[in-house]
Amino acid sequence: MDDLLKEFVTETAESLAELDGEIIKLEKNPNDQDLLGNIFRLVHTIKGTCGFLGLPRLESVAHAGENVLGKVRDGELEVGPEAVTLILQCLDQIRTLLDILEQTEAEPEGSDQELIDALNALADGGAPVIPCAPAAPAASQIQEISQAQEGEAAAPDATLDELEAAFANAKGPEELAAQAGTPAAAEPAPPASPPAPAAASDGTEPSRRKESVANQSIRVNVDVLEDLMTMASELVLTRNQLLQILRDQKESEFAAPLQRLNYVVSELQEGVMATRMQPIGNAWAKLPRIIRDLSNELGKDIQLEMKGAETELDRQVLELIKDPLTHMVRNSADHGLEMPADRMAHGKPETGTITLAAYHEGGHIIIQISDDGRGLNIQAIKEKCIANGLATEAELAGLSEQQIQQYIFKPGFSTAAAVTAVSGRGVGMDVVRTNIEKIGGTIELNSTAGVGTNVVIKIPLTLAIVSALIVESGGERFAIPQLSVIELVRASSRTEHAIERINGTPVLRLRNRLLPLVNLSELMELRPPVVSEAGEGGPIGEQGPIDDNGDRDLTGEKDPAGDENLADDKELFIVVAQIGAYSMGIIVDRVFDTEEIVVKPVAPILRDLKLFSGNTILGDGSVVMILDPNGIAAATGEIAMTNDASDAQDERALSQSNGKVSMLVFRAVDDTPKAVPLELIARLEEVDLEKVENSGGTYVVQYRGQLMPLVCMDPNKVLADNGMQSVLVFSDKDRSMGLVVDEVIDIVEDHLSVEIGSACDGYMGTAVIDGKATDVIDTGYYLNLAFSDWFDGTDSMLTAGNGKDGRPRLLLVDDSHFFRNMLQPLLSVAGYEVVTTESAAYALDMCHAGEMFDVIVSDIEMPEMNGFDFAREVKKERRWAETPLVALSSHTSPADMKQGREVGFDDYVAKNDRDAILLALRETLTEQRGAA
Amino acid sequence: MTTDIGSDQSQEFVTFSIVDQLFGIPVLQVQDILRTHRITRIPLAPPEIAGSLNLRGRIVTAIDVRRRLGLARGDQDNCLSIVTEYDGELYSLMVDSVGEVLALDPSQFEDNPATLDPTFKTYSEGIYRLNDQLLVVLDVERLLDYGQRRAASA
Repeated sequence: MDDLLKEFVTETAESLAELDGEIIKLEKNPNDQDLLGNIFRLVHTIKGTCGFLGLPRLESVAHAGENVLGKVRDGELEVGPEAVTLILQCLDQIRTLLDILEQTEAEPEGSDQELIDALNALADGGAPVIPCAPAAPAASQIQEISQAQEGEAAAPDATLDELEAAFANAKGPEELAAQAGTPAAAEPAPPASPPAPAAASDGTEPSRRKESVANQSIRVNVDVLEDLMTMASELVLTRNQLLQILRDQKESEFAAPLQRLNYVVSELQEGVMATRMQPIGNAWAKLPRIIRDLSNELGKDIQLEMKGAETELDRQVLELIKDPLTHMVRNSADHGLEMPADRMAHGKPETGTITLAAYHEGGHIIIQISDDGRGLNIQAIKEKCIANGLATEAELAGLSEQQIQQYIFKPGFSTAAAVTAVSGRGVGMDVVRTNIEKIGGTIELNSTAGVGTNVVIKIPLTLAIVSALIVESGGERFAIPQLSVIELVRASSRTEHAIERINGTPVLRLRNRLLPLVNLSELMELRPPVVSEAGEGGPIGEQGPIDDNGDRDLTGEKDPAGDENLADDKELFIVVAQIGAYSMGIIVDRVFDTEEIVVKPVAPILRDLKLFSGNTILGDGSVVMILDPNGIAAATGEIAMTNDASDAQDERALSQSNGKVSMLVFRAVDDTPKAVPLELIARLEEVDLEKVENSGGTYVVQYRGQLMPLVCMDPNKVLADNGMQSVLVFSDKDRSMGLVVDEVIDIVEDHLSVEIGSACDGYMGTAVIDGKATDVIDTGYYLNLAFSDWFDGTDSMLTAGNGKDGRPRLLLVDDSHFFRNMLQPLLSVAGYEVVTTESAAYALDMCHAGEMFDVIVSDIEMPEMNGFDFAREVKKERRWAETPLVALSSHTSPADMKQGREVGFDDYVAKNDRDAILLALRETLTEQRGAA
Repeated sequence: MTTDIGSDQSQEFVTFSIVDQLFGIPVLQVQDILRTHRITRIPLAPPEIAGSLNLRGRIVTAIDVRRRLGLARGDQDNCLSIVTEYDGELYSLMVDSVGEVLALDPSQFEDNPATLDPTFKTYSEGIYRLNDQLLVVLDVERLLDYGQRRAASA
């Protein structure tokens, strides 16, 4: 195609897109002179260029349109919906002609007389006659017209003369341009309008739109921009070198000009960077027109609100999300919003609102599309799922509404009961999702029946500019996306924020919470550059940072230098990062400034490194890796950031009103994390394996002047002869047992609910702890194992358990399955016959059934009937009134204890203090017997 | 990126040496020769990846060819880098020194000797018999094809 023609087609298409939006604005503000001026100018430009290129048919249509607009601008004509529809039709016709022109490189035969007549009639002040149904765009029209008689071809000319005459009265475009303060010479340079694939307008766009001043943008080829960017970067590098030289030479006459150069280069680089970015509003430009058309077509009143249109994102991403966005807005208008009558009936305003919002968050761009419509129809989705074979009724019955809603993203799902012309185009939400996921984004949907639907699209920072915090660790700099950083804490032994350790795992007390910490240099297996170890086997000169790459094979070994890094007297910085609902501290050596960075994907050979979300070039020209907080969290083995896990956590939080339990998570036997309530553990120890002896098939070690049995969870495990071994020490009175573990991972505070029971000895079952399936250890089993072995393998004392051999009979009332299971073996081992029950009501039933106990141990915090009420009831029962009562509670404030005594508890002990429990029981029973 | 070995035309190679061994890369694959550049380490990356650097606004991954060939690491401060493009990404190959560009006659070309070290064999396309020494033609594609390596080692 002729270059000139090609350019004309692109330009005009862009002008038309802009016009759509402008005209709809005009309908709302008919008296906005600036707006009118801009519209007029755009149409005039189209007409003028057509004339220049010899495209009479296009010219005549544009001319008729311009004529109407001229009258409107001069106040001779009022803008009404019909007029707008007619003008839009005129634009559509131009577009159709343009499409044909693009394909065939020639104007199609035919005439647009009908449309031109209608426009002229309107311009003459007559009632507008809309030639076609408003919803039928010119596509069909063009066929009709091309079939029209050729004899009519002369007609336009005649009309044209009239029009010219009419137009002569109107203000010319040159005058207009002069008014707008733009040189007329700029006129032929067409506007670089929003969706321009090659547009360079960008930064100036929003302000220009507001002021509606003549367009100040020019068109630049993307390649030119990319080259410019490259050049600017190189200039930065050269400048850096110059500055380096300058630093070495104290006195130099180049100093002043170099500073100036420095400044200019920085500005230049910023400017060039800015050309990559475009406001998201560009992708939204078409939407007002679409909504207006839909509004008419569907008979709904729809208001489109757009927020954050100035949010910038990479041109490339912009192109990719345009279509999914359009589709979703259509969906909202078509399926989401109700008919005005229905809305009134539900007490909602007649006008439905669709809101588009865009903003940066957590290194992502978030785009929200929400409507205040009827929400998703869960029932309809269910039926559709079943009809389409996506799920069975039974499967759906077990799902939450939220989960059912997700089915609309499944391929082959279309929500509209009847496929309408608007959104039922065979493109479903599945395609939308696929497109968004293709660029690494996610899409989430939330819908409340009767209130509306909210779709959140999250596009990752790739390709986008983000603000990042630059930190240093182990002599290397890294960028952390600013938005995942909550705060910075300076930690040293001299401040209130000192890093403390649990078995080597660093933690920080921050506002009465323990913040798990991860040392970045350890995680990255980096050593401070000053520490260079000899013996690499290479020539001299390999020192410093580069030295360390070779040593990374020694994974798993604790890096001594990394530990030194945490020496108490050293000042460190902790970057508190938020990952979903989880916060974590990242220990770094230094914190620099924040910097705006352009994220670039890493080379394919590095894609496996999940700790990085990309890399970037900083202002000083150096390359830094961008940390992915999600990846770091995942690498510490603590949390899985899947939606499912967080959902599961939420559900547990709801289902279990109990407080959180601190769990020690460790690894033993296999890779599945194991957990045990922290309260049960007396100490964490490292035992020297050389001191471990094998006595009669049992490993024992001298510990605090006594022999302590070491129990392995895997009975066949053979301990090594030397080295250190992590051991969890469980103490019971004067006896201790060590449980051999491979590695202590962390301490996690979480709700504990054993979801899957276990048939294996030693396991209570599997629970989700911090988003991971974790085996919860039955400590009682191992205690039993150790102690039974300890007592010559004869467990007569423990096995009887029927109360007949004189053992005190104990009733344990606790709603927590876990604590019952935890305490029962412990109490059994201590010599009690234990009966457990999960509620006070059941306990009272036992009382009525004639059961007798020597002592009753009851939890205080229980649903329905709490421990205090239970005690009052017990004291009322003649049969149990004398039975001593011991309260177990996690609240042991003096006030609680006082209340406990008042209602009749003989003793009140903290739930987590096992020694105290046993002591209290012993004392209570002794007193009881003494009294008896 | 097939080097048209076996054709009658002589081919031009950029020569470089690593531990006194002469290597060659077809001149058309070479984009740039760099002196020492500031390299950013990439933690946890394979040992032969020396880091990344900024070359005129593009991020280039630096490969320590010595390590890639299973040799001891060299003096990274005084080495030279040959920049090449593979699969749309730039890589800089760190070598000890870069020599002249040689036009070599295909008749001097020979396949790898069967007894060649397996690592060398993997990355060598063949050997040119020069008058005074032997030149190993480095297969850049293989050298940079980590996907294959992963698949093979998995």
